[in-house]
Amino acid sequence: MNEKINITINGKAITADKGETILNIASANGIEIPNLCYLKHLSPYGACGMCVVEAKGSPKLLRACSAVAADGMEIETNSERAVKTRKAALELLMSDHDGDCKGPCTLNCPAHTDCQGYLAKIAENDMEGAVKIIKEKVPLPAAIGRVCPHPCETACRRTHVEEALSIAALKAFAADEVRKSGKSVLPEIKKNSGKSVGIIGGGPAGLSAAYYLAENGHKVTVYDKMPKMGGMLRYGIPEYRLPKAILDCEIEEIKSLGVDFRNNVMIGKDITLEEIRNSHDAVLIANGAWKSTAIRCKGEDLEGVFGGIDFLREVALGNKPEIGEKTAIVGGGNTAMDACRTAKRLGANEVSVIYRRTRNEMPAEDIEIEEATEEGVIFRFLTNPDEIIGENGKVKAVRLQVMELGEPDEKGRRSPVPVDGEFITLELDSIIIAAGQRNDSFGFEEMPVTKKGTIIADEKSFATSLDGVFAAGDCVNNGASIAIEAIAKANNAAKAINAYLNGVEVSFREPVLSEREVTKEMFEGKEKQSRVKMPTRPADERSKDFGEVNLGLTREEAINEAKRCLSCGCHDYGNCKLIKYADDYCVDCKKYAGENHPAFTETKLQVIERNQNKCILCSLCVRECEDTAKKGILGLVGRGFDTVIKPEFRDSEVIKDCVSCRKCVDACPTGSLRFIQK
Amino acid sequence: MRIVIGEGSCGIAAGALKVHSAIDAFANSDIQIGITGCIGMCFLEPIVDIYEENELKARLVKVKESDAQNIVNAVKENNLSLVDYLKISDEDNSFLTQQTRIALRNCGIADPENIESYKEKGGYEALKKVLTSMTPEEVIEEIKTSGLAGRGGAGFPTWFKWNAARQSDGDEKYLICNADEGDPGAFMDRAVIESDPHNLIEGMLIAAYAIGAKYAYVYVRAEYPLAIVRLGKAIEDATKENLLGENILGTSFSCTLRIKAGAGAFVCGEETALIESLEGKRGMPRLKPPFPAQKGYENKPSNINNVETFANVPWIILNSGKAFASMGTETSKGTKVFALTGKIRRGGLVEIPMGLTLRDVIFNIGGGIRNNKKFKAVQLGGPSGGCIPEALLDTVIDYKALSATGAIMGSGGMVVMDEDTCMVNMARFFLDFTTKESCGKCVHCRIGTKRLFEILTRITDGKGKEGDIELLEELCDSVKSGALCGLGQTAPNPVLTTIKYFRNEYEAHINEGRCPAGECAALRKYVIDETKCRGCTLCAKKCPVNAISGSVKQAHKIDTNKCIKCGLCKSNCKFDAIEVK
Repeated sequence: MNEKINITINGKAITADKGETILNIASANGIEIPNLCYLKHLSPYGACGMCVVEAKGSPKLLRACSAVAADGMEIETNSERAVKTRKAALELLMSDHDGDCKGPCTLNCPAHTDCQGYLAKIAENDMEGAVKIIKEKVPLPAAIGRVCPHPCETACRRTHVEEALSIAALKAFAADEVRKSGKSVLPEIKKNSGKSVGIIGGGPAGLSAAYYLAENGHKVTVYDKMPKMGGMLRYGIPEYRLPKAILDCEIEEIKSLGVDFRNNVMIGKDITLEEIRNSHDAVLIANGAWKSTAIRCKGEDLEGVFGGIDFLREVALGNKPEIGEKTAIVGGGNTAMDACRTAKRLGANEVSVIYRRTRNEMPAEDIEIEEATEEGVIFRFLTNPDEIIGENGKVKAVRLQVMELGEPDEKGRRSPVPVDGEFITLELDSIIIAAGQRNDSFGFEEMPVTKKGTIIADEKSFATSLDGVFAAGDCVNNGASIAIEAIAKANNAAKAINAYLNGVEVSFREPVLSEREVTKEMFEGKEKQSRVKMPTRPADERSKDFGEVNLGLTREEAINEAKRCLSCGCHDYGNCKLIKYADDYCVDCKKYAGENHPAFTETKLQVIERNQNKCILCSLCVRECEDTAKKGILGLVGRGFDTVIKPEFRDSEVIKDCVSCRKCVDACPTGSLRFIQK
Repeated sequence: MRIVIGEGSCGIAAGALKVHSAIDAFANSDIQIGITGCIGMCFLEPIVDIYEENELKARLVKVKESDAQNIVNAVKENNLSLVDYLKISDEDNSFLTQQTRIALRNCGIADPENIESYKEKGGYEALKKVLTSMTPEEVIEEIKTSGLAGRGGAGFPTWFKWNAARQSDGDEKYLICNADEGDPGAFMDRAVIESDPHNLIEGMLIAAYAIGAKYAYVYVRAEYPLAIVRLGKAIEDATKENLLGENILGTSFSCTLRIKAGAGAFVCGEETALIESLEGKRGMPRLKPPFPAQKGYENKPSNINNVETFANVPWIILNSGKAFASMGTETSKGTKVFALTGKIRRGGLVEIPMGLTLRDVIFNIGGGIRNNKKFKAVQLGGPSGGCIPEALLDTVIDYKALSATGAIMGSGGMVVMDEDTCMVNMARFFLDFTTKESCGKCVHCRIGTKRLFEILTRITDGKGKEGDIELLEELCDSVKSGALCGLGQTAPNPVLTTIKYFRNEYEAHINEGRCPAGECAALRKYVIDETKCRGCTLCAKKCPVNAISGSVKQAHKIDTNKCIKCGLCKSNCKFDAIEVK
């Protein structure tokens, strides 16, 4: 029988064997003390400084991994000093950690979709696997894959080699393939919580929230003023970009989770917010931004003047707005492109786009502008409506002020300035103003709104001024943005609501991540493989109907495209102890930014790749190789900040000495070591 | 009469060997010529002493080869007035007369290469006393009475360590002498080994007897070649006389002593890193506990003391612990050796009783600041220590009192700075040192010192940011509490003490883009005083970047945007018209 001692850890009285370390006693009693350089079967080493704890009466912090507990000791594992010291260790490590936890695609996606993950699945021809990963963040992959302006692609590092991956198209491809095979990728629904959530608005935000709340076992009802669900995806995106049959399927999947859809219900008219609040445990407002912004130009009230989204909605509803032979669209964004191409399809002969800057400044996607041009849309750059001229209360022409580009503003975008006295008059039958969207607070009068008319909600908790009422998407704070942004916010709002229903409050923050700064030079020598080109129907054919423009990729094209992924994100993100602690302690990775380690990657050990950029010199690999594998291949080389782990002394013999036991890889707390398949 | 030439490293560096050969060339065989080690007056080297029997007749300083003939003649003719011009001044001599020498008692007096010379001064008597009349416990008790504390820096009671090693289980125990003196500006241990190696050996033998060690090592840095040679010879001579080896002096006590040359890593002065290095491993600190007294060299109980600590031991045994303890203060007993360097008038080795003030040492013994400049601060304890400003110069030399200032007693480095020293740059210098000398094992030291150095560098480069001082303080705190060994735990001290006492200098760099001491080149501003400038155009011609303009006989101007602060204009100006702001 071992001699016993009595100590306290964080106030808890513990009896332990004499001679045991504080760390072992704590962990045996369910108290976690962080550590990065400790493994039970190896001797304590003391490098990371993470396991420091306070012992009452001791002037110095003790390293719990090696300090043997003495009878009567009073240990505090999370004293202010211990926490500060640990946090500093992490901040110092992160200042010298040159790695990407996640790929730039994922980071730039508002919903942080794991692009690298699903691209890998597509590359392996596992489309279901890919959709499963996508749906962790985006429940409408076929729709979003078609309409998303894909910030992921903007960030793609493949641009340093040649062109970005066609990530959005691959997302749509994977979803289409699964759908065509008649399968559905649906989440496992948790046990019925007995709680119910009312969601106002069945657009991308409302539907996403419905999906994730249903997954968590809540009863969800979606109220929407329109005849069908889908919101702007249905009523703002033209059929030729997103066939509604595809959207229907994805919405049907959400319904199949037990979500109750109630259409043609308008808040403030058919039902009040109060009534919805009374019939649910929580409410999410996600009713979007449905009003066209006016441009405050004389003649805007004439017959034949349409708002951009109003026009698109009418068409989507199956109506045929009277636009006549000649029409013009004011604006340079994606809505303007949707409107001009829709106008073309409605049979207008002469469709012009009036934009006050030049093509370079157009916010619309390049592909949209190109395809519109192919379809015969005329671009009138550097013009701005001065007055819409009417006759008998109907649009007859528009007088355009000629503009030129002036000085760049703070964002570097050159602002348009009128050229004195220069005007052009354009004969028109109608004009569509696609200058933006705004919100309508009708039905939400009791809620405080911003100057823009959006509902005020906390950015981190999504809570509004009303208890149990949350808000997300285009209707909140800064107003309208892209669909994936609304989905991202709705996902987090769903988590907040889920927490609220479980009686806890959450506040969202972005996780702490390591990000590399890369330069083009780093990619020199990478083999070039050009981006896959999406095949489309010929312009003269497609511009006559509303059939989908894109013909879709072949499986082979999709797989090859997915294989272009550079896999920027760390393979070990999910298991990395360093980043887990960095996030737990909310560290500022840039706090001590400075010179980085001399870094290199090598594969001398045949089956093990060592990436020095991510090494934290915990020496677990060195010690495993020496003490457990009895090989002693690795060692510490150099001194001070320049110390690195390398095969020691006998570079040339390393290959034959390594027995690929993997012990070093398994022991590595970061993604510095990885097993490579040959 | 006998001529004795001071041939410690410092004397040799100043030309003692050349003086020695010149004297040899003039002298004939009836003149005795001998050598000794370092007397500690570096500022006066080379030093030649003339003795009659054991009496010092004349101490000649700053001797040159050309003085050799006069010296030889003076001895031959028994006419010391011939070398009056070389004799040490009373003022300079007061550097020595104000000292109390125990550890250095034979330095610069005995011949380090001759065991007889040491014996004449009572050498090995203490060992005989211990081996023949004292038990190990009695020895430890005597050391306890003396109050001797570790002189390497930490000041841990020596008897306690000896006792712990003695009490540890195991019949194979090791005694180790830490002679890896690495602080910039510290050379106390080198002087002891070079000048009085037998004193170290005797002190170690007594300690070995006390703890029951059969094997002893001296871990000495390879950068001390002369010390290694002299200690080697001393070990050889002592072994021949049965003062080392089996059955020493016919008793049952046996002990061998070996030298291990360290490869020049500062961290190997940390005892556990030293042990690793001694074992042939990479010099990196171990976790404590277990302490070396339980598991040291080869996992056997070991005791490590510094050179100066051992050098006090024979004296204590012969003169009693009580005599030693009668010197000093309540908490710090005996004497302490300091290496006084920097902008001091009289620099060298100073051994004084504890309890004197810093002012006593710097102004009375050291003679104050060179070139009539103003005193600014003194750095104690090297890279692990801190600076002490003028306002605290009356602090007494005592472990507790010095720690209270934020500095430490340290191993004895005492670097004096004058008004021209930038304190931010001084902190940067020490952090540059610790960053390079960090072993790389623990995070707080490896990366923390590097980041401290980077922040200090950006401040001295004029790129400091608001909040940098607070960032330094925060990081310093974390490094102190998180680093594994003493090197890292104390590395922030120079930063913290300079911020504590010279915060205004940091602020001037960051907020005003000004280095008050004018030392930081990036912040220096060269300006021509128009009232002094005669328009000779010399500065404009010398300026490598054409930053100076002006017509002949007209006052010139420096374009500060072009100026690279090389200082050529100033050094060439014949009218002292160029000012540094």
